[in-house]
Amino acid sequence: MRFRIYRYDPESGNKPSMQDYELDIDPQGKKVLDALIAIKDTLDESLSFRRSCREGVCGSDGVNVNGTNVLACITPLEGLKQPIEIRPLPRLGVIRDLIIDMAQFYQHYRAVKPYLINLDPEPENERLQSPEDRAELDGLWECILCGCCTTSCPSFWWNPDKFLGPAALLQGYRFIADSRDQATDERLDFLEDPYRLFRCHGIMNCVEVCPKGLNPTQAIGKIKSLLVKRAL
Amino acid sequence: MSSVAKSVGGAHRGLDMWLAQRASAVYMALFLPVFLFCAVSAPSLDYAGWRALFLPLGMKVAALLFVAATLAHAWIGLREIFIDYLHCPRCTMLRLSLYFAVAVLYLACLVWAVDILWSVK
Repeated sequence: MRFRIYRYDPESGNKPSMQDYELDIDPQGKKVLDALIAIKDTLDESLSFRRSCREGVCGSDGVNVNGTNVLACITPLEGLKQPIEIRPLPRLGVIRDLIIDMAQFYQHYRAVKPYLINLDPEPENERLQSPEDRAELDGLWECILCGCCTTSCPSFWWNPDKFLGPAALLQGYRFIADSRDQATDERLDFLEDPYRLFRCHGIMNCVEVCPKGLNPTQAIGKIKSLLVKRAL
Repeated sequence: MSSVAKSVGGAHRGLDMWLAQRASAVYMALFLPVFLFCAVSAPSLDYAGWRALFLPLGMKVAALLFVAATLAHAWIGLREIFIDYLHCPRCTMLRLSLYFAVAVLYLACLVWAVDILWSVK
């Protein structure tokens, strides 16, 4: 199979370029990550990329394959148009080859305070939730922070330093929706901003690429509904 | 770090614009089919028919509100586009000037629409 992979080594002083590889691999049942590992093992040990769990749980191998943000480890090789073009996730800086600098992404994630804020004395065992309240969190807690959604969002491309992006907003809503959290008002205060939240124009690129099948646009819509309810 | 101090709360803006854009869209979506129905069911659409359509005060007001909703919708949409694409450190003045210029242009359109609608007698 033919591959065309983005290469960049800041220490070499060369500009980023695309490098072609011809790999002898049977695509049957194999994923893009298998090919990347095979290329690194047999053709070019200098090729750099992140991977860890290799089964779509850790979210560390987000890459852009043929123009779409995906997790390399769960994207089948079969059916991909050749040469298979693999690039780092767009907009965030490239550290080397397919490895991107996630600092900005994590900064937005930290900004939404992705943890439970509850000032009540801690109960002896655990903070209880009704099954219905717990069900509110489905479709939110599954996010693995791979960054596929945020880096596919044009609003993030134009204002990466100010717009929080779909991943951080989904996580923000995850704690707003949590019946055990007591900081809903502060969270909404933080989000009510022309840049942080309202750069989202609902084009749903995030929904299309999410490898976990989540719907950040819906979560953002719910945040907006809560803001409207609060204002009226 | 200054960025920490800045991130205390949101600007508490944006919601009104977002809501106004939706509200104006709802009005346009309600007005257009009603107006089209009125226009199609009019006996004739020559000058006399068209004039008769816009003669009642209700239609004048509804049409003016439609123009206002369209202009507000367009202004907010352009504002969104300016915020999206004009965000260099020195773009603030350019953006403000554009908001102002478009607002003046649209307000002029609104006044003009009043003149046109109420000239039908």
